[in-house]
Amino acid sequence: MRTLGALAAAGVLLAFVPALKLPAFYETFLYLIFHWIVLATSWNILSGYSGYFSFGHGAFFGIGMYTTATLSTKANLPFLGTLPLGAALAALLGVALGAIVFRAGRMRGELFALLTLAVSYVLATIILNTPIDGGPGVSLSAVAIPAIGPSPPSTFYLLALALAVVTLAIAYQVQRASLGRGLFAIHDDEDVAEVLGVPTYRYKLAALAISCALAGIAGGIHALFVNYVTVGETFSIVVPLSVVLMSVLGGARHWAGPAIGAAIITALLYAFTASNYAVAGRAAVGLILIVVILFLPQGVLGQVLRWAQRRAPKPKGSGLATARAEAPIQDLTPLLSATGVRKAFAGVQALAGVDLTVRRGEILGLVGPNGSGKSTLINVISGHYRADAGRIVFAGADIERLTAHRIARLGIARTYQIPRPFAHLTVLENVTLPAMFGHATLDRADAEREAWRWLEFTRLAAKATALPGELNLHQRKFLELARALAARPQLLLLDEVLSGLTPTEIDGAIALVKEIRAQGASIVFVEHVMRAVMELADRIVVLSYGSVIAEGGPAEVMERGEVVEAYLGKAHA
Amino acid sequence: MLEVERIRVSYGAAPAIVDVSLAIGARELVCVVGPNGAGKSTLINAIAGLHRIDSGALRFEGNELARLPPHRYCDRGIAIVPEGRRLFTGMTVRENLELGAYRRGLRAHRGQSLERVCALFPVLGERLEARAGALSGGQQQMLAIGRALMAEPRLLLLDEPSLGLAPLIVSALFETIRTIAATGVTMLLVEQNVAMALDVATRAYVLEEGRIAAEGTPDDLRRRPEIRRAYLGLTEERT
Amino acid sequence: MPSLALLGQSLLSGIFVGALYGLLGLGLSLAWGLLGQINLAHFALAVLGAYLTYQLAAAGLDPFLTLAAILPAFFLLGIALHWLFARFAVSVFNSLLITFGLTVIIEAGIQWIWSADFRRLESHYTDIRYRVAGLYVPLPELLTLVLAIALSLGLWAALRYTDFGKAIRASAEDQAMAQAFGVNAKALALLLSGVAAALAGVAGLCVALSYTLAPSQIYAWVGVVFAVVMLGGLGSALGPLVAGIVIGVSEAITMALTAPSWAPLVSFSLLIALLVLRPEKL
Repeated sequence: MRTLGALAAAGVLLAFVPALKLPAFYETFLYLIFHWIVLATSWNILSGYSGYFSFGHGAFFGIGMYTTATLSTKANLPFLGTLPLGAALAALLGVALGAIVFRAGRMRGELFALLTLAVSYVLATIILNTPIDGGPGVSLSAVAIPAIGPSPPSTFYLLALALAVVTLAIAYQVQRASLGRGLFAIHDDEDVAEVLGVPTYRYKLAALAISCALAGIAGGIHALFVNYVTVGETFSIVVPLSVVLMSVLGGARHWAGPAIGAAIITALLYAFTASNYAVAGRAAVGLILIVVILFLPQGVLGQVLRWAQRRAPKPKGSGLATARAEAPIQDLTPLLSATGVRKAFAGVQALAGVDLTVRRGEILGLVGPNGSGKSTLINVISGHYRADAGRIVFAGADIERLTAHRIARLGIARTYQIPRPFAHLTVLENVTLPAMFGHATLDRADAEREAWRWLEFTRLAAKATALPGELNLHQRKFLELARALAARPQLLLLDEVLSGLTPTEIDGAIALVKEIRAQGASIVFVEHVMRAVMELADRIVVLSYGSVIAEGGPAEVMERGEVVEAYLGKAHA
Repeated sequence: MLEVERIRVSYGAAPAIVDVSLAIGARELVCVVGPNGAGKSTLINAIAGLHRIDSGALRFEGNELARLPPHRYCDRGIAIVPEGRRLFTGMTVRENLELGAYRRGLRAHRGQSLERVCALFPVLGERLEARAGALSGGQQQMLAIGRALMAEPRLLLLDEPSLGLAPLIVSALFETIRTIAATGVTMLLVEQNVAMALDVATRAYVLEEGRIAAEGTPDDLRRRPEIRRAYLGLTEERT
Repeated sequence: MPSLALLGQSLLSGIFVGALYGLLGLGLSLAWGLLGQINLAHFALAVLGAYLTYQLAAAGLDPFLTLAAILPAFFLLGIALHWLFARFAVSVFNSLLITFGLTVIIEAGIQWIWSADFRRLESHYTDIRYRVAGLYVPLPELLTLVLAIALSLGLWAALRYTDFGKAIRASAEDQAMAQAFGVNAKALALLLSGVAAALAGVAGLCVALSYTLAPSQIYAWVGVVFAVVMLGGLGSALGPLVAGIVIGVSEAITMALTAPSWAPLVSFSLLIALLVLRPEKL
């Protein structure tokens, strides 16, 4: 809240600049800075936060420009009235585009960039060839400039100032809200975000809509500012590329980053142009972009914040007594039952009709030789893949057709064999996310407390502010575990959590798994480290070539002829 | 021929292989068995030059291997049939085979080598112009072995060749391995299918959690409890 | 409805412009598909090459002979670029951003040396036109077509039939495996990057022969050539040429039937369709 207050205060303060009666040049210069702050910040809300770099921001900006140009001249609408219409139209196009493009799930970054660029060109062509522009451009000289400030330049200055404050406030709010958290997770690993409960499709559309609407308003204001709107100028490659540059320079992961980048670049270019070195200025800008990408990938602000965070004292634990979760239900009634589950990949039948039941409160070991389908089964249950056939019922609900984030909300959590933490989020943020989006659906403050609890449980509390890249394999595996637990799942799926650990670390992990079951979760774990399976499992299910070949108590099952044969071949049976 | 001396290999941050030593003599068929995650693939990849060694020595025919750039291992006479085949799926069967004989000095014999491989795997001879990606699992495995044979290796490395193949094809596969061994090629075989592996091997090692747990002749190892323990978690007390 | 002659001329001019698209797209496609480098600066390099051709030709050299200086220089530039990308382990997406920075630098350089004034290469090729079956065939455009076909076919054959070509294709699919069989993947990658950049130089020559030069030319082709590259298939040697001619002809027909300014719609709509419906093809 303090930040919003500060923004508002700054806005009010700066609103008095026209009273200083400076030469128009200053107000125009400041207008441009605010203009680019809006464009870069609005772009960043989708692209910087989620990693879906759009090269089509010019299209939405252009819609705003032409909506104002057309409506204020041909329809004689008052200028200010055209602005919300431009915003709405831009948002509409953005959502329509997103609805189609994001449907298929994750799209590669470079393809999304080129797609949005293409959309921009198409729009430009359409506008150029229809009566909207038609070729000669649209002149707004007859449009009345509202008298908000003492002079036209002041008016534009104040409009841009207001929009910049609003845009920054929105960017700040989004970053802090679930939407922002979700977008950051999507940035690092969209599939995992979905599996942890983030509604990825909805969030991407929301960010896109906000981004486009703001760009539309900026365009509307700019139309009157330039007074003469042409397709060439509006849809030139300058807008999309500049916003990328400004955001990357300032720091794309922070609401204030693009603003800083915008201010630096605009001022830089102005300085160079003023001293007749405009060309050198552009070359400098290109060089800055290269240097930033190679050496300063988090941008200026990002780097500064990293340094500050390193110096900051490490926060202590939550201090709250770790309250027990719901009393463990170990009544052994079925919690999950899978019947006839089949899944094939490019000709390989990974699951050939699996029947499996998991009972409440049990630890079920899922074993089998390499390639028997264990990981595939985990992926299908958690919604990472969709089964080709079969039925999966969890806590009374059919889940085989649900998207992964819905399955997470119902209470299933999983770990990945090769840990997939969100690389740019701290350990604490990694664990807070599933608490917010998973089965528990807590608000941010509660989610953070929950995260602390699980970090202490997995002995990772000391590393709360570290990035996953700084952890060793053992710690990253436990981070996977903490992340899965923070969602307060009813069913926990562990995928080879012990592989790669030393014998001592394995002992520690075994103890932890026992404690987890004591806290109330039912567990299915895939493992190759057999001594762990023997110690932990209440029951074992053995898979071979995609079907269940045996199940029962651990020692008894592993001695059965067909099981020994599956692993070692006939000679040993 | 091959001496591996106390090597340590990490996979990312974690040690995958610790203090492993083994030796392979000429014309031997040595087998490394062990459960999944034991480090078998990491071991064979390190020997093939696909993975860096943290410490220890790797010597082939007396020459130190560890400092060579990856594309020079083949020159020394080492060829690998990697886990999962890793064929060049966009290229034809013929092109995959020819690429096996890419290294210096082999281009002259390429035609002859191709004939030999096709004699060993007639199915490949019939489908030379097919795309490698269109072959069945068993055929792809044959192609992967054929590609390695084209390199005229003195040491042939096989990483879990039976993975993902139906039991009938696995039998045929091991027959082929016997045939190749009979021509005098030294082989190192890493396998999860213990029975078939011990049937063809002259000597074997058991790898468990990154270390050598046992070594000996196949008969030796069949009698000892390490294998049952490593794979099935069964120890003497439980049975 | 335009006359047959007009349509015929449009068709021809579409083929010619398509050949240039294909030539521009060739280096871009090879670098993207086989090296994982999206070289946005390819266009800037081509325009730079055009300016260099112009400059050296103004000094009296036959435009084609300027290649003797431009090709080796660009080849080295291509090697340097890939070396940089390999050294910093630049991701595919970041290669797009970095080469954008490079584009801006090159554009600024061009403007600084040659100013923003229009430049036109005057050579004895410029005014020669042949009359074939009632249609006009300008020599510069014909030469562009010939070069485009020759280079595309040549590279296609090299990739398809030579050992180096197969090694490059194998390396693009699985670098570690290619190395395991003796392919010096790193050296080949540098070589390929150099060739791609040299191709930009050749495209530059063709641009100089047929078009007026201005620094803003760099951005004129970005959109349509990316469309050509993606539609032709990344890493393909013949793809850009075929896709280029298809798009060039579609644009020309569109222009003849409606108005010139509708032309861009063709390539971009095709591109959007491809990206939305079949992204896995890329």
